[in-house]
Amino acid sequence: MGETDPTLKIMTQTLQRSGVIAVERSLCLACRECEVACSLYHEGECSPSLSRIRVRFDDFVPGLPDLIICKQCDWPACYDACAARWEEPAVRIDPATGARYIDAEKCRGCGDCLRACPLTPERTVIGVRQVGRKRIYWMCDLCHDRPEGPVCVQICPGEALRFVPADERHR
Amino acid sequence: MSEPCGWTGQILRVDLSSGETSTVDTMQYVPDFVGGAGVAARMAWEELSPGLDPFHPENRLYIVTGPLTGTLASGAGRVEVLGVAPQQRPSIFSRSGMGGHWGAELKYAGYDGVIVQGEASAPVYLWIDDGQVEIREASELWGKGTYATTSILRAIHGPQTRVISCGQAGERRSRIAVIQTETGNAAGQGGFGGVMGAKQLKAIAVRGTGGVRIARPDAFLDLCIGASREGQRPGTHGVWRWRPRRDGARSGARSGAESERRRFRVRKCGFCMSPCAHPIVEHVTATDGTGVPSVARQCWGYMGTTREVDAVARALTSDYGLNGWEITFGVIPWLEMCKQHGLIDAIDGLEIPIPDRPLEYMTDTAPYGSEFIHHLVHKIAFREGELGDALAEGTCYAADQLFGGAGVPLLDRIYPRHCGQTEHWGGHWGPGGTIYWPWWLPPVLQWCVDTRDPANDSTHQWAEHVQFYLPESGPRRGPFPLEKVRAVCARVYGNADVCDPAYTYDPPEAKAIPAIWHSHRGMIVNSLILCDYENTRVFSTATEDGLADTALMAKLFSACTGYDLSEAELDQAGERIWNQLRAIDVRYFSRDRAVDESTIDGFMYPGKDDGVMLDRIKFLTLLDAYYALSGWDPATGWPARAKLEALGLSDVADALEQSVRVTG
Repeated sequence: MGETDPTLKIMTQTLQRSGVIAVERSLCLACRECEVACSLYHEGECSPSLSRIRVRFDDFVPGLPDLIICKQCDWPACYDACAARWEEPAVRIDPATGARYIDAEKCRGCGDCLRACPLTPERTVIGVRQVGRKRIYWMCDLCHDRPEGPVCVQICPGEALRFVPADERHR
Repeated sequence: MSEPCGWTGQILRVDLSSGETSTVDTMQYVPDFVGGAGVAARMAWEELSPGLDPFHPENRLYIVTGPLTGTLASGAGRVEVLGVAPQQRPSIFSRSGMGGHWGAELKYAGYDGVIVQGEASAPVYLWIDDGQVEIREASELWGKGTYATTSILRAIHGPQTRVISCGQAGERRSRIAVIQTETGNAAGQGGFGGVMGAKQLKAIAVRGTGGVRIARPDAFLDLCIGASREGQRPGTHGVWRWRPRRDGARSGARSGAESERRRFRVRKCGFCMSPCAHPIVEHVTATDGTGVPSVARQCWGYMGTTREVDAVARALTSDYGLNGWEITFGVIPWLEMCKQHGLIDAIDGLEIPIPDRPLEYMTDTAPYGSEFIHHLVHKIAFREGELGDALAEGTCYAADQLFGGAGVPLLDRIYPRHCGQTEHWGGHWGPGGTIYWPWWLPPVLQWCVDTRDPANDSTHQWAEHVQFYLPESGPRRGPFPLEKVRAVCARVYGNADVCDPAYTYDPPEAKAIPAIWHSHRGMIVNSLILCDYENTRVFSTATEDGLADTALMAKLFSACTGYDLSEAELDQAGERIWNQLRAIDVRYFSRDRAVDESTIDGFMYPGKDDGVMLDRIKFLTLLDAYYALSGWDPATGWPARAKLEALGLSDVADALEQSVRVTG
């Protein structure tokens, strides 16, 4: 391996840290508005299957709902995997929020990000959509291009979701 | 538009007699009939026959969603059920709705609705998996409660399967059987669970991974977020107090050992961000030892001696698939009245509790213990004994069969025109009197002309989005001064007197206008479909002039479907649906003014909250105004040709004239 090996480069640099959507399960009302708001904002369609956040619950089984959403890792395996494989990686880091997100323009559909995620499939949501002959992966991007912040946080009627910026998260 | 937005574009039709399934094109009915109840009404108009018995195989269950179902619009988790309703006396075409997650799941599976017709030869359930439909045998499920049915189907088809089902009561064709989903949502009124049972259809399980396309996503998102802000209104639905807070406090929870023992989860129905929620109580055990793992509490409850009695009885009712509202506000008060009149003393040795004075109002009902209520609910669900068998028909039918008919006069206070559904008796509205004199006049008008207890799609808005704002109504003091109220009324209803306490019966328009307006809006609500607590809005504390965005539903509809309808155009669609439903009632079930007027008897007693009794002579002038403003013939109460033609329903006018010639 030479000096230009991308994996090595990643291992030695310090990544910008990200904010995160903090979840308080005991406040979740299981209305699933976050699911449809997320898919509406990102995909223009109301579909829980296209949502980056998932609510899992069964009213016949006592216990709190499970909220499944990207943890925006300090050391994101998805980011590393993409950078290791591609010269121009699709998994990127937003300079403002630190959000790890997939640039749809650059995604080549290899799926390495999904396979690399240590939390898959229970605790995070990475999905794929077919656009023509191309497969494009998607995951939570903290709505980093949205001035009001993450849409799921904004609409949650139980205030179970809260956006924690990078500096607060690591205090 | 090849790929419709909002609607999925097809409605599933299942004939259980032949085992065949087919689809109906939704788009032939929309946007004229909007969706949901509107589309179902139009299909029923085309398909029903006169005097159809609710348990006849030809009766259909129209289980329908609307263009907004499963979207971000607040209150969009609902589904509406229509059909000839056994609970109604006599049976007529009626409707009932429920929240939850099933309706949205159906749309994600690719259907706007399911029409169930025919009758299976053995118990079956329907499995809808992303557009694949299967009629499967259900002998294992038959005899099970709705809770077990749901859990078994989730075990078979996956934990995210959404289920509607009928319980043991529905299997026995109870007229007060519900269609249940989850722990706390049911299409309660109408007895549609009994229709499912008659068709030997135990359940409909759905899993869908698709979505609802939105024509203008950005605009739709903004509208939904804005609407949820405006929805924060004064005096909101009481159960909201159960919402947990970040600091761990719960405003409604009592301190002390009793409440610490209880474990709560708080839930909303699906797909709604309104200020409303219900607690789910875990591990409830009543004094006789019966317990349930969890039960949802809603706005109504059993008048048990303790909260545990209520919680367990509620769970039993949901599990057996019975209409708890009918039992708690109809069956039990009637039984207590019967005891006061010496007709019955005990049920299988269990004393019927009675209040120490004559039972006149709903709130007079004597509280009962767990043994009594469990025994009674069980008897009704399984039709045990003469009493259980009769009460499974609902009180109005039971009164004819029991005690040689001596209990029939006692129905008067509880059931307007003995129609099978309880009035919110006690103050012409309900316990606590949400609507006070003279504001209960429009709901009474709605009672007269509707096919069900209108306190859902039509009257809830009048309570939630109008009454709470008035400066003075009964003991309540709202936020707005009279001038502001008058100004809003002038703009919304075109009549400033509507909410002015200076006017009661005169001018009659002041009460007839809101009765009609809210019924038309109600039809839009149950066709889009949105929650009737959330819509339609009239007043708002979020605006300076106090006027809510009354065009909200039209804006949501337009941004969602891409069909641009103005507020007036959508209102006209609501009026069209209302007239279509009325025409069904007239053509197939001989509805006329005489039936409407017979409703008045149910209100001829002083209200508990205000002591005011309906004045029959003056009230008839309101009814005259109602017909005149509706464009209905004041003599017959039928929609007139001119009105029907203006609504694009000339074929309906032709058919009604035809039936005059046939019957008259």
